[in-house]
Amino acid sequence: MKNLADPVRSYLSTVEREASALSADRRQELLADLAEHIEVTRAERPDATIGEVLAELGDPRTIAATALDEAGNGAAGASARGRADAPVRRGKVHPLVPLLMLTLSMPFMMVFTAAPGQLVGVLFRVTGAVLLCTSVHWTTARKTTGVLLAAVLPSVVIGTWNLSTGGPEAGAPALLANLAVLALLTGTAAWLWRVRRA
Amino acid sequence: MEPGFPTKQARAAAQLRKGVLEYCVLALMRDRPRYGVELLQALEDSGALATSQGTVYPLLSRLRRDDLVTTTWQESVSGPPRRYYALTDSGRAALDEFSRVWPGFRDAVDAFLTASRPSTGDLT
Repeated sequence: MKNLADPVRSYLSTVEREASALSADRRQELLADLAEHIEVTRAERPDATIGEVLAELGDPRTIAATALDEAGNGAAGASARGRADAPVRRGKVHPLVPLLMLTLSMPFMMVFTAAPGQLVGVLFRVTGAVLLCTSVHWTTARKTTGVLLAAVLPSVVIGTWNLSTGGPEAGAPALLANLAVLALLTGTAAWLWRVRRA
Repeated sequence: MEPGFPTKQARAAAQLRKGVLEYCVLALMRDRPRYGVELLQALEDSGALATSQGTVYPLLSRLRRDDLVTTTWQESVSGPPRRYYALTDSGRAALDEFSRVWPGFRDAVDAFLTASRPSTGDLT
């Protein structure tokens, strides 16, 4: 079975990509349904090739378009699931934008240590966090992790540091701390970039 | 979709199918719960309602969200467990309502189609 996994995986990832405008839980549900269908069909018709099974399932684009269509139809009736119509309102910002804003706020604040620079840096971080939360490119869990690691934690650390030392510029230990936070931001941004949805 | 079928007629057929498909799916569950592959097989065998199989899953997902069907997992003697779809009370009500409306609808269309023969078969 191992050698058969790849066409299936590539088929499912095409569906996932084509259905990127769908809300996360809706898309996961669709992928789970299709994966289950493939497994059951293969168990019931061992003679069918994986190509035949996938061909019968149909064009990933058609499936994704139908799913989007159904999500639109269902939104009015399914108000209990409040997130159903969320993708319509969500921004279509490129996933790099929030990541860069979150990451670059740090070097920016390291370079411009005067008050306006700090303020702009904080604004960058807040805007980045908001864009991250409203993006369609991540699941809620990943967004929460991202905001905690890339916005809340650095702000708390820097705020505590500044309060205890009296200012952002305090020599070599501060530089090390800043670099550590920067590494945390870069790492988080890289992780978010890797796990983003197309 | 039949190869070489004129696009406009294919679209008309697709529109018709779209309108009735969910009730046919509900009707398939009238007597007992069915699992996905089973439902698709029945649609496939019907000919006219055969559709790109994957597109039925978003429909099933909506029926579940609209509380017309419920799903339960059941182990199978062969292969992975299946997710079985069963009618809820409101699903059964929707099906009954459609069953009530459909004959009149079908007869009215038939009456139009047999009474006058338009020069083009354009249904859109």
